[in-house]
Amino acid sequence: MGSSARGAAYRAQYVVTFVVLGVLTLVELGVVRMPGIPTIGVRIALVTLAVAKSALIALFYMHLRFETPILRLTVLAPLVAPAIYGLILIAEAGARAMR
Amino acid sequence: MAITTAHAHGPAAWPPDAQYGAATPGKIGMWVFLVSDAFAFGGLLIAQGILRGGRPQWVQPGEPALGIPFTAALTFLLISTSFTNVLAWAAAVEGRRRAAAVLLAVTALGGLLFLVGQSHEWTGLIRGGLVFGKSPRASTFYVITGFHGLHVSVGVLYISAVLARYLRGRATAYDVELLGLYWCFVDFVWIFVFSFVYLMP
Repeated sequence: MGSSARGAAYRAQYVVTFVVLGVLTLVELGVVRMPGIPTIGVRIALVTLAVAKSALIALFYMHLRFETPILRLTVLAPLVAPAIYGLILIAEAGARAMR
Repeated sequence: MAITTAHAHGPAAWPPDAQYGAATPGKIGMWVFLVSDAFAFGGLLIAQGILRGGRPQWVQPGEPALGIPFTAALTFLLISTSFTNVLAWAAAVEGRRRAAAVLLAVTALGGLLFLVGQSHEWTGLIRGGLVFGKSPRASTFYVITGFHGLHVSVGVLYISAVLARYLRGRATAYDVELLGLYWCFVDFVWIFVFSFVYLMP
């Protein structure tokens, strides 16, 4: 693929990603402001939306989608354990506060 | 594509690693740096989460609420700068130097506007009673957003430096791509800051 065609193909993906990011941001605001959603549901939704938005940026804007599996693993694997550990610590702090 | 012919950056003797495909040592190094930076932000956000989770009342009496609509606009601004940044790379790849330079300049301007907006927000919050050191909410808020603001400031300087070199013909699409990794990471982190610090009930 020539550089011009490659650039055009990337641009189309960037535009779609930009629109989706905007929509997901609006959904985030809607989830927070919508009445009747339980707090735990809002929290799960916000975490899910944040992960989805950041994944889009990493995969398309940072070109991780087009890199080798080894590089993707190099980037993503070290983040998994701290994320799980962090969730456990936060949940434990909450459980202690409720005693 | 051989490293030495496509990119004349870094130590000439560094061998390409076939497992990383076309990713140069520079790109791999930038990613490793960004992962380490993610640990720093992750630590701050987890610390805030632990402090918040352990308190039945996070917002102290008299403390102002965070401005969600204004910060949502800042969030959209930052997302837009990531968009213009990657468009700059696409233009650089195609050899459209003027378009790439203009888009880089727009990206830097967006970053500056974000910093202006954040300082405006901080001023209002301080006047409203959210003062650093007075409560865990206040302290963690200013540390997290301040640390992020520092990254945005460095990013604006980085963009300016690459733009200056690009205009003189000393930077290539590769340099713009490395810059893009850093700038998009700044946006990547802000997404979590916005969700966990501003929106989380």
